[in-house]
Amino acid sequence: MTTTRKRPGAEKAPAKPTPKRASTRRKAAPADDEPRIRDPLELEAALEAAPGDESLRPETTRPEFYGFDIVPPPDRPPQTEREREVYTLGDGEMLVNMGPQHPSTHGVMRLVLKVRGEVVIDLDPVLGYLHRGIEKLCENATYTTVLTYVDPMDYMSAMHNEHAPALAFEKLYGIKAPRRAEYIRALVVELNRVFSHGLMMGFLALDLGGLTPILYGFINRDQVVDLLSSISGQRMLFNFFRVGGVNFDVNDEFLSRLGKWRAGVLDTIEMNEKILTENEIFGARTKGLGVLTAKDAISLGVTGPNLRASGVPFDVRKAHPYPPYPELEFDVITQQGGDTYARYMQRVAELKQSIHLIDQIVDRMPHGPVQAQVPGIIRPKPGRAYAAIESPRGLYSVYAISDGGPNPYRFRMRDPSFITLQVMPKLMPGHLIADTMAVMASLDPIMGGVDK
Amino acid sequence: MGHLRRPRAGAPRLGRGRPLTAPAAAGPLVRLLGDKLGDATSELWTDEDTVEVQVPGDKIVDTLRTLRDDPDFGFFFLADAAAVDYGVGERFEVVYHLYSDKHPTWLRVRVPVDRENPLTPTVTGLWEGAMFHEREMYDMMGIVFEGNRDLRRIYMSPDYRSFPQRKDFLLPDDAADSPAAGNMPLERPETWDLTRLQDAAAHRDEPGGPV
Repeated sequence: MTTTRKRPGAEKAPAKPTPKRASTRRKAAPADDEPRIRDPLELEAALEAAPGDESLRPETTRPEFYGFDIVPPPDRPPQTEREREVYTLGDGEMLVNMGPQHPSTHGVMRLVLKVRGEVVIDLDPVLGYLHRGIEKLCENATYTTVLTYVDPMDYMSAMHNEHAPALAFEKLYGIKAPRRAEYIRALVVELNRVFSHGLMMGFLALDLGGLTPILYGFINRDQVVDLLSSISGQRMLFNFFRVGGVNFDVNDEFLSRLGKWRAGVLDTIEMNEKILTENEIFGARTKGLGVLTAKDAISLGVTGPNLRASGVPFDVRKAHPYPPYPELEFDVITQQGGDTYARYMQRVAELKQSIHLIDQIVDRMPHGPVQAQVPGIIRPKPGRAYAAIESPRGLYSVYAISDGGPNPYRFRMRDPSFITLQVMPKLMPGHLIADTMAVMASLDPIMGGVDK
Repeated sequence: MGHLRRPRAGAPRLGRGRPLTAPAAAGPLVRLLGDKLGDATSELWTDEDTVEVQVPGDKIVDTLRTLRDDPDFGFFFLADAAAVDYGVGERFEVVYHLYSDKHPTWLRVRVPVDRENPLTPTVTGLWEGAMFHEREMYDMMGIVFEGNRDLRRIYMSPDYRSFPQRKDFLLPDDAADSPAAGNMPLERPETWDLTRLQDAAAHRDEPGGPV
């Protein structure tokens, strides 16, 4: 070898002092006795020089993996029976953190997995990384302002977030939105459901290692979001609903975009379906994985597509219909499997159903005003109101109490993905770590809503 | 800006000030509640799609079990469980919303809870899904659910001391207007420390000792 790789510490430092400028830029070379991880090229050269000397290899006392970090049990006594159960390690078991910034946790959440080898034994979701106290903020805001606070909760379905509070406040105030406003609400809400379910198909594939479907999902989402921004003025947090109506009527730009979108929407979805539905690898990874029985699902409070994928025909649009759904024709779709694949198929079916509903809504939309007369500051009479809607993730409900003042005395939101997360410790024991991501993606929780 | 169609003069003021009436569909449920749970329920109230009753804390588990298992009621699904704080010197309230496929209304069950001694039985034995609801209520309001085997904080960190959704937890904006302005009495461990209650609950459930 004519040239040797320069190694810090391997050569003696030059006798004459180095210029100050160079020494400030360069990191100080580690002392010889300080343990450090050699870089791979350096290690290779050293092993070439002294073959068979295994002491050169770095000691792996604390293995590290991408995305995972081995955690010790907490250094305090367990607070509850369940916590003791999760954090007590048996023979050959260890605790592994998945998250809080793992891409498959769909937001910021931490799953503490208890694993034996690669098999998950138990699991503890740790929430609260996105907690903003929206309920408390809403209790200190006027009724109109509440509708802006709830937008960023479940950011994949901002329209649904506004729908339930609007219905609850109208019930408190004893007012009803005009019929045209109800139809416009249903229209934007179903559009929102289309892109939410479309993205879920993509995220599920992404968590299983397929990159393409998420791109088609985002193409679809961008089109819908452009549509919604042409009616509401904003792309992500729409702030479109008002107490007693909606902010804007449908306009020409929206309608022409809607027609164009409707002509091509099934292309991206069918593209995704062709990639995924009949795909053998996708089927092998998802069929029979994470089977949720109907009994468990009801007991655990699972709602929405996850519940219907287990065969329970519960849809708030049918169970407690809010206008204009009683006037529209649709059936409650269910699947029988209850596994990850059934949850995926359920999303695809509901997506197409939403497009069908959009057709009906546009056909039947009545004329008239889009906003009932309400004062600037709403002061409902003291009372209580509960309003529930079907969001893409399930039963999303609001319980509002008025004390006669300008802001709600109590404002409670029930977010479906928060409750759905409870099934993870039920589903995962016995499956592999890699399957955790598939099941998480198929349940489709959104952490902005989970943490409120 | 022709599309910014603001409410016109003829916009209907639909039903403003309309009295709350009992829906005709709720009649059978109201009768059933009177017949089967007449001694446990009180303060019956209905609005357009909800029937509301109040149940004392010591009867809540049995009442909810009847509502869930009795085929006439069929309230098999716990839609929501929430806690309400009625202010210092008043009471807490735990509110359950139930869904049945046999009745066209929601059923709201309100359970008053003592504010000084916020203990109420858990319903996780009836619906496992009540676990996160109860953990949230414990975290935000400080209500202790007896018999819940995983009553930890869920949003805030385990060493957090106060309960943010109580009405005497003031946001900084409000604190400026309050008589205690400048004191920022947001965390008062001496009043919000509930370990004594937890210890008592643990002793009651596990004769072996505290958890």
